[in-house]
Parts: sequence; structure tokens; C-alpha cells
Amino acid sequence: MAGGMDLLGLMKDYIVSPDRIVSIKGLDQTIAGADSGIRIGAATKIADLADNVLVRKMYPALATAAESVGTPQIRNMGTVGGNIMQRPRCWYFRNEEFNCLKKGGSRCFAVEGENQFHAIFGDGPCHIVHPSSLAVPVIAYGGKFRVAGPNGSRDIDAGEFFQMPNTNLYGESVLQPNEIVTHVILPAPGQRSAGYEVRFKQSHDWPLAAASVNLVMSGQTVKSARLVMGAVAPVPWRSQAAERVLAGKTITEAIAVEAANAALASAKPMSGNAYKIRVAKTAVKRAVLRAAGVAWS
Amino acid sequence: MDSQAPAPAQHPKYAWPEKPRLIGTRVSRIDGPLKVTGRAKYSYDILRPGMLYGRIVRSPHAHARLKSIDATAAEKAPGVKALLITIKPGDKVLYPGQEIGALAAATEQQAADALRLIKVEWDVLPALATVEQSMRPEAPQVFTPANTRRGTAQEDGNLDTGFAAAAHTVEGTYSTQVQTHTSLETHGCICEWNGENLTAWVSTQAVHGTREGFAAGLKIPQANVRVITEFMGGGFGSKFGPDIQGLLCARVAKAAGAPVKMMLDRKEEHLTTGNRPSAFARVRAGVAADGKLTAFDAQTWGTGGAGAGSDYPLPYIYTFPNRRRTHTDVYINSGQQRAMRAPGHPQGCFVTEVLMDELADRVRMDPMEFRLKNLPPLAPNAMWAKYFPMGAERINWKSRHVTGDPTPGPIKRGLGCSANRWGGAGQGARAHCEIGSDGSVVMRCGTQDIGTGNRTIMAMVVAETLGLEVNQVTIELGDSNQPFAPGSGGSTTAAAVMPAMRVTAGKARDALFERIAPQLGVPVDQISMGVGTVLVSLSTRDPLSDAQSAARSGQAPSSRSISWRDACRLLGTIPVSVDGQWERGLSAGGTSGVQFADVEVDIETGITKVRKIVCVQDCGLIVDAKTAETQCYGGIISGLNYAVFEERILDRNTANMVNPNMEWYHMAGQSDIPEIDVVLVDQPERGVIGIGEPPAVATAAAVANAIRNATGVTLRSIPITPDRLLTELERAGGTN
Repeated sequence: MAGGMDLLGLMKDYIVSPDRIVSIKGLDQTIAGADSGIRIGAATKIADLADNVLVRKMYPALATAAESVGTPQIRNMGTVGGNIMQRPRCWYFRNEEFNCLKKGGSRCFAVEGENQFHAIFGDGPCHIVHPSSLAVPVIAYGGKFRVAGPNGSRDIDAGEFFQMPNTNLYGESVLQPNEIVTHVILPAPGQRSAGYEVRFKQSHDWPLAAASVNLVMSGQTVKSARLVMGAVAPVPWRSQAAERVLAGKTITEAIAVEAANAALASAKPMSGNAYKIRVAKTAVKRAVLRAAGVAWS
Repeated sequence: MDSQAPAPAQHPKYAWPEKPRLIGTRVSRIDGPLKVTGRAKYSYDILRPGMLYGRIVRSPHAHARLKSIDATAAEKAPGVKALLITIKPGDKVLYPGQEIGALAAATEQQAADALRLIKVEWDVLPALATVEQSMRPEAPQVFTPANTRRGTAQEDGNLDTGFAAAAHTVEGTYSTQVQTHTSLETHGCICEWNGENLTAWVSTQAVHGTREGFAAGLKIPQANVRVITEFMGGGFGSKFGPDIQGLLCARVAKAAGAPVKMMLDRKEEHLTTGNRPSAFARVRAGVAADGKLTAFDAQTWGTGGAGAGSDYPLPYIYTFPNRRRTHTDVYINSGQQRAMRAPGHPQGCFVTEVLMDELADRVRMDPMEFRLKNLPPLAPNAMWAKYFPMGAERINWKSRHVTGDPTPGPIKRGLGCSANRWGGAGQGARAHCEIGSDGSVVMRCGTQDIGTGNRTIMAMVVAETLGLEVNQVTIELGDSNQPFAPGSGGSTTAAAVMPAMRVTAGKARDALFERIAPQLGVPVDQISMGVGTVLVSLSTRDPLSDAQSAARSGQAPSSRSISWRDACRLLGTIPVSVDGQWERGLSAGGTSGVQFADVEVDIETGITKVRKIVCVQDCGLIVDAKTAETQCYGGIISGLNYAVFEERILDRNTANMVNPNMEWYHMAGQSDIPEIDVVLVDQPERGVIGIGEPPAVATAAAVANAIRNATGVTLRSIPITPDRLLTELERAGGTN
């Protein structure tokens, strides 16, 4: 346990009851330039990440995500590693009364139940949205997670790190029980990048949808793009369809809308969350326009 | 200030001062520093020597019959000192969280862990999670004699005539959600026995009522029970007795032979400690071409949970000369409703006020003008016709566009308005006042300050009456050993307690004068109250030095003043000690108010940002302008939450609440709270009236109408979440 922001809640709700808790407060909590990019220790406080000058200058989508996590108290206690590895906030998963699929039960209660905050992508069988706000820009920036285990360290592409429920029902990532995330490593960003998050409440709340976009530019033209959405799928949801729309274009509102439509084209809403398609489209459009420095109307 | 003549009811002996020195000013809460520094001890903070921690055993099911229960392992669990089970095989539970037992253990964690060792087997029965499920003809019969209870029609005038006179009609179904009280301090208490005597520190709105509740529930004399609530973190209508958790706490404390603290957690709060019932209304209403309302016909229903009612006033405020309304209570398998801040009024207000805007559009009238045309006549308790224009000025109503903001882009602005009414009369409070020879003043009253500022306004009235400053008065409250005062519900406290303060302090002043008159050598009618002084007119011999007094007061020696302290010193060893109580003529009932909302809606995200709320509100004689305003702030924030955020969400298949927390049960945080502009209207001639509830009534309707004005779509259902708003915008094909 480092900040304990997620673990303590899980324990209080009797979702997990570990026999032993190991302090990992000793993990690296520094942010340093590395090659042309940056290396962030897993024990870095989210508040320190949000305030970091280098991060704010080079990785605005990450800074935006960091400063909108939780509350000041959570950002002051919570860590980067904890944000990435936190368990889903699905209200069936978090509620002791529902023995849901992810907890070893036989059904996902969201399917025929209350799913207004659930996934609009993925085929189940579990319909959580991934809770990490930071993972979304990390993937957009093409980052890696450095993982330590019994056989030393390895770097895993952040885009390959998270797993869908049909691959891994009881966890959300490829991390093994004997492994731990020690660093987030980001390469140099594209010339333009930004994030946008839509929240129901402006105070302490989870996003209804979020988007991060990272654009490699050639003058005013997008050479290549990475676009990732948050809070729409069991993993941070990259949209190569939207990236293809952006590549080779000069960003205008019409292009941003086209990218947003492409990003959500394959969405499969549940019984009560079709509205999230519109919300996610808006997040994508505004992230793209913000990255390009175009005001939206 | 007071007349020597026998006082008629209209002119009580201890009438309010015509030119008050403190009353009506802005006084900060006298316990503010204690609260912000954490020194104020709430029930939650009470620690007693050897204290154990209690937890309730609860049903995880909405509807089930007990097959078996085995608590052996829990009884033997580490730290467990007492355990009792209150359910037996064959018994049924009717809502999730229903109490079936309790235990006490040495630590909170041990208690919580031990709960989970109780092995319970249930026959899970079909549960009703929604009013729709309960009202279906094929629904299982869960409640006796039926799942619904249809009331009798309330009728006035002639509907046929009314609709015949209508040039336009509006028909629609309106609805409001279940809202829970979500008091910052949860329900609960600490129970400590001394032989057969129980002392209970309870988070309650009624120390005397809770004493009665303990005595009745435990079958012990009231004389054996003492209830203490020194500081209290909100109840909003949900905390009037020991409740089941209080009685279970007392019983496990007795069994364990140790004090037990049993404070509920947030989940238990949402599930079992009350809520505002939902409301549905299928309405047909008519308006004549000249904008006069003609008819109102409604079928209404709602749920107050497992076997509790859900009625509410409808139509609200405006005059529909011909009307009919029938209400049906619908029962579902959820925790029962309790009184919640202006019970029924926010529901009736929302339904009526949204309908009013729709009707105004039909006759192409400004919604405020339309309201003015259909209000009851102006009266002291019906001042809307005066307040609407006042509020309109403050919100810049003349900048309002017709329904649907024509501005291009995703951000739409809009304005809306609505009105409220409430009672707020009180009576029955008693008090005891002592004035010591050192000049100290103690006023005791078994009322409670549930966070409203009662303690502060009590001190203001006493200080005003005795010519003192607020900090020279000690207020003791929140203890059932003090003189009786009623529970704090229905906005009645100020109207019940302030007259008792005025009368009792006035009697103490008279008693003081009686006592010191002989020593001053003057008849009592030559003594009067100054500010921090006692004034004596010098028509007779005076035992004290005239010169000294004149020097001190700088006045001519026709009268002289003695300091409060010197005057009290004349009391010697026996203090002034008097009882007093509420008297007629110092308080009243019946308030009115209006609210206006200025909102901004992002039609691409469905997010509503409330920019500003204007509140014009009266409450009779204003005692403390500052705490009266803060009541308005609190009420408005609660109403804003009702409009946009709060909703108890039950899983439709199990009736278990999916958001029993403050994570998914959304409530405004600092960034969600708008500018709030409160205009308090003083009505000193009416005496004191309560203000706790009225400001919470109208906000949701004003916000909903502002959203309608911004977006051009009519939301007949709250909360107006992004989900509901985007769905409605989609249906309407976007904004106009």
C-alpha cells in the first residue's frame, strides 16, 4: 500500500480482505526527464504530477487528467501507480450485496440492471469502465509501464497492459501477482496534445467520458495521431479509426466531429447508457480541437 | 419597552422591542469557533470509559423469509461482548438493511468483522423495486392488504366547466425521485447505563421526544432516561427518536455492561433512515386565452417505501378554480420515507411550477406575469406578488429570452422562477433563567441546535432583553434534563423557543429589579434596563453616591446608571432563578418566498451549471440576519441537488440500492454551488417564524424551468442528469 486511496475503500467495503499489507511507500516518487521523454515513479503523488512543470509543458493531456482526479485530499495521498492499478468503480462490483461476475459470481448485474455509468464498448461479459484517468493519456502518448518482478524489470507497452474481461475477468491488466508497477515512461510527445474530460459534477466525480489526443504535426497538418478514450470501456479505449481520420488533415471543427463520429462508430451501448455516445463524442471533439488550438462553437 | 398594563394577546407583556439593538443584526454563530476548530463534540465524537462499538445485523435482501440464523461464530469472535438477534425463523423482511439484530465489540473493526460471521439462510422472495413493478396487475402481492393504497379524490369547483373555459390544455406526466436526507452526521448514539438509569448521547432533533422514545421502547420510566445532544450534524426531518438502532444500542449496552457507541455508516443511512418519497403526477390542466388558469385534473402516485405514504400538496400555490386530484400510495421493498425538509412541498412545487411554464408558453405570456395573474391575493403569509418583481430585478429577468436560447454554440443560458410557502409556527417551549451575583446569565432550555444557529439566536434574544452582549449570556440546551422544548421539525424551533427566551429573560429582569429595588431604596418602577447597565431614576433617596454615579455616566443626576455587574452584586448569595415559557403574540406562522435560477446548459454533454440563484424569502421577525441567510443557502443547495444530482438508485432486479454512498449518490461540491443571492424580507410586526424548510422548496422547480428556458426542451422529471437531458434533446432534435 502506498496512498491507500483504493485499497482501504476495497477493504472497508469487504471487497478484499488481505491477510497482510505490504508498504510500498518506498517506490520511486520522482519525475525526471529520460531520453527525450519523461520517467515518473509509481509512488509519485498525483498532486505532484499535476503540478510538475515538465509534465504541464510537455504532456498537457496527462496534466489535465491528473488535476481532475478525485479531490485535493485524494490527489495529495493517491499515487500514479495506484491510479493505474485501482480496481473498477462499478457499483455492483463495489457493493457487498452483489456477487457479480468479477467477484466470482455468475452474472454481470449491469446487463439487465442499472448501467448508466457502464461501458459502451466491449462484448462483456463484464461491463465495467476502466477507472484510471491517467492511463488514458499515458496510452495516447505511447507510454510504457516498467514492471518489477522476481526476474527483474520489464517494460510493457501501456496499450498492451490492460486486458478486456473476456481475457481476464478477475483483474484488469497483464500484471502478475508477483509483479509491481515501478515507473511510467513516456516518450517525447507530439507537437500538439490535449485531454478533455466530461464530468457530471465539477467537484469530486468520475468522468462520464474522457479523451486524450496526441498529434505529431508537420506544420499545420497532422502527420499521425493517437486518440484514446476513458470511461467508455473496460480498458482505456484507443480508436485507430479516429486516428486515421485525423492523419494527413488540418484540424477543423468538421474534422474533429468526423474523428469523434469515427471513434464512437462501433460503440454498443447498453440499455441505459446510449447518452454516453454523445458525451464521448463531445470529449473527443473537444480534445482534438483543444490540441489543435481551435476554439469550439 | 414593556407596559405595566395587563397585556392583551395582541400586546404581550414581553413584546418584541420596537427599536431592537441586536435583533435583526448580523451575528456570527457563537459556536462557530468551536466547530471549525473541532472542539465542538458531536455524538459521533463522544468517547466514554470502557466504551464498545456496536453494529446492526441487517437483511441483505429486499424481501425474504428467514430460514435459519446461527450467530455462534460471531459471539465467539475476537472482541465481541454482546450479541442479540431480533428475528426468528419464519419472519419476513421487507427492505434491504432491515434490522435483525445487533452486537457490540471492543473495536469498530471487530464489530464489523463479527457481523460477517453470522450465518443466515433466507428464502428470497420476489421484490418490488419500482412503482411500475408494484403497480402492474400481475405484480406479486408483497404488502397487505395490497401493494397500493388509493386515496379519495380531492375536488373543488367543476372540472367540465373549467376545461370548457380553457383555450389551451397541457397534459403530461411529471415525476420526482427519491432523495435521502444524507445528513453529514449519521444517525446513532452512545448509550451508557448506571443501574437502571440510561444516559444517551444521541444525534437527534428532539432530546425530549427521544427520551420518551427510549422509555417506551425499553419499558422504563422516562425519569430514568437522560438524552444529550450538545452539537448535532443535521437531521432534515429524519431524527426524532431513538430509532431501532438507538434501542438496540441501549439493549446491547445493557447486555455488555458497558457503554456502547452505535453510529450508522453512510450505507445504512441511505438504506434505512428515511427519505423523501418519489412523486408522479399525470396532469391535465387548462388555461383561458386571457392567461387565467381554469382547470387542473391529476392522478398522482409515489412511493414512500415499504408500507409508507407518499402524499404531497398539489396543485401548489396557484389558483386553479376547478380541480380534482387523487393520490395513490405505492409500496415497494425499500426503506421507509420520513419527513424531509418541507415534506411534500418540493414535489408539489416542481410539478406545478414546470406545468406553469408550459401553460405560460401556450398563452404566450412571460412566465412571471403569468404567475402574477394566477396568484392568491396578497396577504402577510402570501407575499409572492410583491416578491416576484423583487427577485426579477436581482436576476435581471428582463434579459430573459423566450423558451430556447437562440445563441449559436453548445452553451445555452436560461432563467426560471418558482414560489414556495410554509408554516413555521411553534409553541410549547419552556426555559429557566438564572442571574448570578457576579452578573453571569445562564438560560437553560431543552431545545436543540441541529445546526441552524438556534443557540446563537437564543443568546441574541436573551442579551437583547437583559441589555447585554451576546457573549455575556450562557445558553445551555440539548439535554432532556432541561425544561421541555419541542422537537426541531417543521421549522418550528425559532417560533417556539424565541418567545420562551423573551418571556423568561423578561421575567428574570423583572425579578432582578424586584430584588434590588429595596437595596437601591427606590420603587421597582423607577428601575429600568440600559445597555450593560441598570438605570435608576432619582426621585427618592439613594444609598449610593450620586456623584460617583454621575461621574461614571456623565449624566445629570436626575437618573443614574449602575453597571450590570454592580446591580447583580446586590443579589448577594441567592441568584435570580425564574421559569418562563412560550406565550402568544411573539410568533406566528405562514411564510412565502420566490426563487429565480440562472443556468447554463452544455447541450453536447448534458451538463447543467447553475450560475446563480436569487431567493426572496420572509420569516416574520428576523432575529439573526446571518443565520437566517445561511438557512437559505443550505436549503437552496439542497434544492439544487434535488434538481440535478441526488437520486436513490435501486437495482431494478433486486431492489438493492446501487449508490448507497456519496460517490454515486451525487451531491453538489464546492465547484457545483452557484452564486446565491438572498433577500430576506423582515416582517417585525408578525413575530418570529421559522425558516429552515421554505428555502429548500422552490429551487428545483426554478432550475428546471431555467433549463427549459435555455434548451427549449421540457424536462418533466428530476434529477435532470446528462442522461435525461441528452435523451430529451435528442428526441426534440436538438435545441431550436
